[in-house]
Amino acid sequence: MSTQTDALLVVADLRKSYGGVHAVDGVSFEVGRGRITGLIGPNGAGKSTVLSMVAGAIRPSSGSIVLNDTEIAGWPSYKVARRGVGRTFQQSGDFSAMTVMENLLTAKPGQRGDTLRGALLGKRYWRAEEDALIARATDLVRRFDMTAMANELGGSLSGGQRRLLEIMRALMSEPEFILLDEPMAGVNPALGERIGDYLLELRDGGLSMLLVEHEMSIVEKLCDPIIVMAQGQILSQGTMSQIRADQKVIDAYLNG
Amino acid sequence: MSTAWAFYISTVLVYLGVNMMACWGLNLQYGYTGILNFAYIAFLSAGGYTAAILTLGPNTAGGFQKYVFGLNLPFPLPILAGGLVGGLLSAVVGAIALRRLRSDYQAMVFLVISIIATTVVTNDVGLFNGPAGLSLIPKPMNTLVNLSLVGYQWFYVGVTAVICAIVYGFVRRITKSPLGRSMRAVRDQEHAAAALGKNVAAIRMTSFIIGGVIAGISGAVLVSFISAWSPGGWLYQETFVLFTAIIVGGTANNAGAALGAFLVPVLFLEATRFLPPIGRPGLTDALQWVAVGSLALIFLWFWPRGVLPERKRVIKIPSLLPPGLRASTVSGDHPTGIE
Repeated sequence: MSTQTDALLVVADLRKSYGGVHAVDGVSFEVGRGRITGLIGPNGAGKSTVLSMVAGAIRPSSGSIVLNDTEIAGWPSYKVARRGVGRTFQQSGDFSAMTVMENLLTAKPGQRGDTLRGALLGKRYWRAEEDALIARATDLVRRFDMTAMANELGGSLSGGQRRLLEIMRALMSEPEFILLDEPMAGVNPALGERIGDYLLELRDGGLSMLLVEHEMSIVEKLCDPIIVMAQGQILSQGTMSQIRADQKVIDAYLNG
Repeated sequence: MSTAWAFYISTVLVYLGVNMMACWGLNLQYGYTGILNFAYIAFLSAGGYTAAILTLGPNTAGGFQKYVFGLNLPFPLPILAGGLVGGLLSAVVGAIALRRLRSDYQAMVFLVISIIATTVVTNDVGLFNGPAGLSLIPKPMNTLVNLSLVGYQWFYVGVTAVICAIVYGFVRRITKSPLGRSMRAVRDQEHAAAALGKNVAAIRMTSFIIGGVIAGISGAVLVSFISAWSPGGWLYQETFVLFTAIIVGGTANNAGAALGAFLVPVLFLEATRFLPPIGRPGLTDALQWVAVGSLALIFLWFWPRGVLPERKRVIKIPSLLPPGLRASTVSGDHPTGIE
């Protein structure tokens, strides 16, 4: 793991318990800039709970989440999103009665026409911004080879296309950091590979990511560093070779 | 056209206008934002009572009806106040019901609020004259325009049409805007909307209050026209007539809501009015409720998107590049804008 100074996100002693169950039990890690940090572990390890706490969807029981030197633990999702954090969901989170383009256009926070005042002032007030968003959305659908689906409803897309749509949507607000919850789950291998390539390309463009996954091969290809979780705690973190050499990981995960 | 027919048709037209407005307000809440406001009729009624007590003169002791205020205000102040009260009441109810509850529980809370509202108004006689309700509410500008009975009817059709047009313009601006899009996003997937920076609670509240303002205005227009209003006119079942209207007409489509207002509260209920009375008294009325409920169920099963379904909003994207050139756009300098 790189030095502390280039950490985008610093999570310290994060906990979440439901009644007596400690879903996340004192987790600390960092996410470096311009990297894809992998968070792996078996089902029920608490990976998605950690991600949801960072995104603001779940309130931590205790602990600290610092994004760019700002404490964001316990913030609501929309405020975290407005700080430049994008997110995709494990279960599909598309707006099913809206087209792909509309899904993308709505994804930019703080639009002029997105307030009551702006809406009532009429199209002349928000048209220029809308046109810029359409241009950006067009760019994205081209880049992700989704032009043919641009005006199809979210609900009519295949599982893989929904994954792509969610990634594209997270990119609409030009975030500096995105949280990906199993972006390849339920996607055919060819499309999964393509999604992986897109993510590497985005990383090379400077985007930082935290990727939750339980498929080791995907993490191996995309992520550095890797954090291994089991039973609400971190077992090990480091590069893939360090992880592979760690006896705790081998016992709990790799051979399991 | 005989006077009787002119009177009847003009009355039906005012009812149509009132129902269209009510349906647009409810459609904004339910069709666009996904809020199951089962107390909608109570907000309409609040607007109606407000217009009534502001139009009526001071409440004289020993008069035949009791009420609060009685300010004798001229048109259009009572109508505007009706909208204001509908909105204020929505802000209060929304603050309680919309924030922490899941939408199915919200629906239950709204239903209970509707029943509580009727109970309070029925039993607190000093408020709006209890179960007997208010009557002899002066008609707006009646003395000013000095028309015949039928002439005034047509005049009021015009007034309703103008108010309808204003409400429609207002609703359309919202539903066509990015705010309307955010409402639909909240309706489809609230967690994803929040993850994209939408303040879900604020968007729901905005939609709920605007719907309440429109409900209040529509109630005020109705009560000013019929000159009377009592708890029997806004039982909680009336909300389901409006829900049926927008389900039949098409949710999240303003033209659909208007069509539904014509098909259900006007055409369907008016048509059954002409049926000969059967069985014991009240049976026809009871069967009307059964018929409206069945209509909603039939549409939800077989035609859930309604007669005029939500439109797919197609956005033209600039012409495609040939497939061979696509790679070069991808390798361009940061096409996603990430620097």
